[in-house]
Amino acid sequence: MDIDEDDFVFFGTPIEREEELTSRKKKPSRKPPVTSVRDEEGRRRFHGAFTGGFSAGYYNTAGSKEGWAPQSFTSSRKNRAEFKQQSILNFLDEDEKEELEGRSLGTSSQFDTFGFTAAEIARKKAENEQQQRPSAIPGPAPDEIVLPATESIGVKLLLKMGWRHGHSIKDSRANSLYKARREARKAFLAFSSDDAKSQLEAEPGEENLKSSLDQPINDDVPSSQSTPVYILNPKEDTHGLGYDPYKHAPEFRGRAAPGFGIGALEEYDAEDEDVYASAYDFEDTHVQEDEEPLKSNTENRPKLLWKEKGVLPGFKAASDSDYQLERKLWEEQQKHNGQKKIALDGKSSSSVQKMTAESRGKILGEMPLERSSRDLSSSVASGDVNLPFNLSDTFTKPTSFSELLEVAKPFNDDPAKQERFEQFLREKYQGGIRSTVSGGASNMSEAARAYERLDFEAAADAIEKGKFSKENKLFSQQLMEFSAGRGMQFTSGGLQQGKDTQDEDLATKKIYPIREEFQWRPSSILCKRFDLVDPYMGKPPPSPRMRSKMDSLIVTSDLKAMKMEEAFSADRNQPLVQSSAQEVSKDVVDSEIEVKVHVENVERPVDLYKAIFSDDSDDEVEASSNFNAKEDPEKQIEVAHSTLNRLMAGDFLESLGKELGLEVPPDPPYSTNIARSSVPQKESAIANTGNVNILPVEENSFSTPDGCSVSQKEGLPHDEKTAKRGESKKHEQPGSYEDKSDKLYSSKIGQEDREAKSPPSCHRKRGSSSSSEDERSRKRSRGHRYRSSDLYSDSSSDHLDRYHSRSKGRKKRYSREKRSSKKHSKHHKHGSRDSSSRSYYEVVLSNLLVSMTSVEAEVIEPLEDAFGGGSY
Amino acid sequence: MSDLSELPRKEASVLKGHEGAVLAARFNGDGNYCLSCGKDRTIRLWNPHRGIHIKTYKSHGREVRDVHVTSDNSKLVSCGGDRQVFYWDVATGRVIRKFRGHDSEVNAVKFNEYASVVVSAGYDQSLRAWDCRSHSTEPIQIIDTFSDSVMSVCLTKTEIIAGSVDGTVRTFDIRIGREISDNLGQPVNCISMSNDGNCILASCLDSTLRLLDRSAGELLQEYKGHTCKSYKLDCCLTNTDAHVAGGSEDGYIYFWDLVDASVVSRFRAHSSVVTSVSYHPTDNCMISASVDGTIRVWKT
Repeated sequence: MDIDEDDFVFFGTPIEREEELTSRKKKPSRKPPVTSVRDEEGRRRFHGAFTGGFSAGYYNTAGSKEGWAPQSFTSSRKNRAEFKQQSILNFLDEDEKEELEGRSLGTSSQFDTFGFTAAEIARKKAENEQQQRPSAIPGPAPDEIVLPATESIGVKLLLKMGWRHGHSIKDSRANSLYKARREARKAFLAFSSDDAKSQLEAEPGEENLKSSLDQPINDDVPSSQSTPVYILNPKEDTHGLGYDPYKHAPEFRGRAAPGFGIGALEEYDAEDEDVYASAYDFEDTHVQEDEEPLKSNTENRPKLLWKEKGVLPGFKAASDSDYQLERKLWEEQQKHNGQKKIALDGKSSSSVQKMTAESRGKILGEMPLERSSRDLSSSVASGDVNLPFNLSDTFTKPTSFSELLEVAKPFNDDPAKQERFEQFLREKYQGGIRSTVSGGASNMSEAARAYERLDFEAAADAIEKGKFSKENKLFSQQLMEFSAGRGMQFTSGGLQQGKDTQDEDLATKKIYPIREEFQWRPSSILCKRFDLVDPYMGKPPPSPRMRSKMDSLIVTSDLKAMKMEEAFSADRNQPLVQSSAQEVSKDVVDSEIEVKVHVENVERPVDLYKAIFSDDSDDEVEASSNFNAKEDPEKQIEVAHSTLNRLMAGDFLESLGKELGLEVPPDPPYSTNIARSSVPQKESAIANTGNVNILPVEENSFSTPDGCSVSQKEGLPHDEKTAKRGESKKHEQPGSYEDKSDKLYSSKIGQEDREAKSPPSCHRKRGSSSSSEDERSRKRSRGHRYRSSDLYSDSSSDHLDRYHSRSKGRKKRYSREKRSSKKHSKHHKHGSRDSSSRSYYEVVLSNLLVSMTSVEAEVIEPLEDAFGGGSY
Repeated sequence: MSDLSELPRKEASVLKGHEGAVLAARFNGDGNYCLSCGKDRTIRLWNPHRGIHIKTYKSHGREVRDVHVTSDNSKLVSCGGDRQVFYWDVATGRVIRKFRGHDSEVNAVKFNEYASVVVSAGYDQSLRAWDCRSHSTEPIQIIDTFSDSVMSVCLTKTEIIAGSVDGTVRTFDIRIGREISDNLGQPVNCISMSNDGNCILASCLDSTLRLLDRSAGELLQEYKGHTCKSYKLDCCLTNTDAHVAGGSEDGYIYFWDLVDASVVSRFRAHSSVVTSVSYHPTDNCMISASVDGTIRVWKT
């Protein structure tokens, strides 16, 4: 066998014997390895049905290592299972997906002439996106909405050739373009007329402002439906397509800005009006001017044709002569307007003069009507006016009315009226017999006649004045204005103003600028923030309020002040003051000051107040200046004052009560006030040390500031009167405070008010207490008063204010909160004397001082005796 | 004149974005940015040199009349028809504080040098100083010596200067505690300081700009030709103090020679009232704002 084999030459591969090998083993080896398909990891794919098909999946099995597990579904109340939509893509491998994609055939973007591929891609993208995020519209996006992101090469080419979106692809020079333009313009005009004006900034033809950017917008207006116009302005709101929220409220267009605006309760007033709105009107006129000629080119022609063809029944076709007449009228009007413009310096727009039938007739050369036929200049010679005129020659008056008329004819445009005016003048200057129809035309109403007469009077005045002034132009301007607006009353003051403008101009140049210097106190914190040293070293200014308050008191009670001085001059010679000073010096230091006050008071009552209270306020403010609140010190002062007053009133009444033999209830200490606890002791001590000594002192102090004691000296009948006067004055005060403060604190103060408040001439001088300064500070104080009006709600408390001349020491000591004064007023109202002796005093005092009824007057008589002992 | 070519008369860019009138436009301290405010209740921050809108600040309830930025560009202050003064953080665009207290519209507002105080001028005839350091929203000082609406305010290191419709320009010197009032006799619309600090340019409602010497209170020069009768129009000096610039109600911008008061240039800048002009602190560049809703940047 072996030898045989050596001898033979073999061709080909010998066929192996089948029995040696199982078919299973052989098959793979027999297949060339190249033909098998393997994945990235080298695992074999594509197991044919005949070759087993069992090596797919995990080691050629379906499922995983653990075997195939079905998808588990778990859902709980808290954790809801999400619904997963299965798609075929979930079950495909990457290569399979690739294959799937590749199956759809399309043009590559390079050759995408009509943009179909781009559209397709966009749609697919949109679809994918839609799966990721939910949209309002369920289901796949409609094809119409999805548009290609890139423009197709065809569109690009067309665009390069000059085609625009929204235009049909036609010969652009054909009339279709023309039509399109016209359409566009029409649409634009319509748009401009009813849409927000702000969008019309750049208009075609607006000189150099036209920006090239705006140009395409005009052409983009759709003119044909051949191609869809892509959305120029992306929709950003959530309104429905085509919904215009401003359709019925165009005034809100463009207003939508965030933040809080005018509330429902806040009304738009004059200040809220848009002062800039007029600027847009200005633009509007431009628009129309520019658009007009364009329109006439295209649209007027057919109209004219139509006119020529047929004429409406009742109308005749326009002829040249008609046109000429119209032209004449128009020219005249223009001329007139032109003159007026010169005269009024641009104000003519407001006063458009109407042409009357007569004036129009005159311009057109019509045969004038009988009434207006008289020539204006020769009207003198005509008819019924002859007689008075001739008569009047005997009366010589330097101004002849014809002369006047030469100067100006104020009613030139209304001949009938002018005639009446002339007649009026004749009567006015020449005297003579008045014609019966003097007032005006017979067909005028009585009111109209009266009105006209007023007009004439004013005009005549103006003419007379104007004649003497060289400035005829101004004068005629005035007249024009006057004749234009009938409602406008012509005042001679206006004319003079006009005359004087030039002089004034010169004057102002000389006068202005005026420099003035005042003291000004920067707040300490302001200095700190500006990194500067406080020029006043933190010392607050003397409170202007206190001073001014005293001023106002002095002003209102000047009579009392006089009397007060009298009383003191009477007192001066007496040693009483000194002795009393000694007496009181035992008590406390405060009362010493009190006496000093009185001594000073003798000499200069006004300065006294200032000295005391400016000092006081300084101290007070210093004490409270740490907390930088503006009102607090003043409030405190006020509270302190009211307290002081009441205490003084208490003392006064105590002694008074003793004098009168009235029962005075004991003074229970206030539970709320700690400082108060020492007071009753002292007071009782005063009471105990002897009525005789102390009383004169008390008397002095109380007779001074109050009108009551003054009136006592003058007897009873007089008494009531003065008291009432005083009362009424005092009652006036709160009211006037309120008025002033209203003015002061209202945000809108009229110009007149302002001028009245501080006339330019009288600027205040800070150093001295000039009147304007006083007034100003008073105003301020009134404002404060107004704020703390709860304190001064009652008039009687005002009375108590008059006891300010008491010592500052006491005030400090007995500083009490404002409640007490409120309490007081309440008690006063009800007249109850239950709660405390203080309130009792107040009741008595207020009864004495305020109402001063006959009963009280009786009480006063013994009182007078008591006081009289000291001063007389 | 060689000067003429240096005047910014060429339009470099147009800043669009405001809806409705722009009431003020201001350069920041170094002139790289500008701020504008207007009727649409917004404040806008721009880069005028690149023509870019950077940020919008919205919070005002009514029109915003004035805006000012600190020298470090970190804070803004604005005021307007809602009677409030808003203190903003530039970066976040949030309102840090609102200063309430003016009884009516607030016309103008400025920071002091250290950005520690804001001074506002109101229609309520008062100037109010507000503290930015503390958390207090109460004014630290109220100056109410004016007898009419205060239109404009300027601050120096030591002074508060304000112009009012009552015709006065008042200087409040904090160092010496004096108030100096210069009565011009005409309502003052706007005041602006010369760069050397010696003069005040006051725009009056009789269509005249007046140049005042601060130390003596003399009227140095009057500039006429433009129209300013009913609107609040800004005026300013160029950064060299060689020329005076101002807007006009007919949409023109005027340049006057400082010394001889001749109109050296006038050109149509806007289609409507030019409300505000602001000159670059160092370059030959100017911005103007108008009722037509645009801000225009002018360069040489």
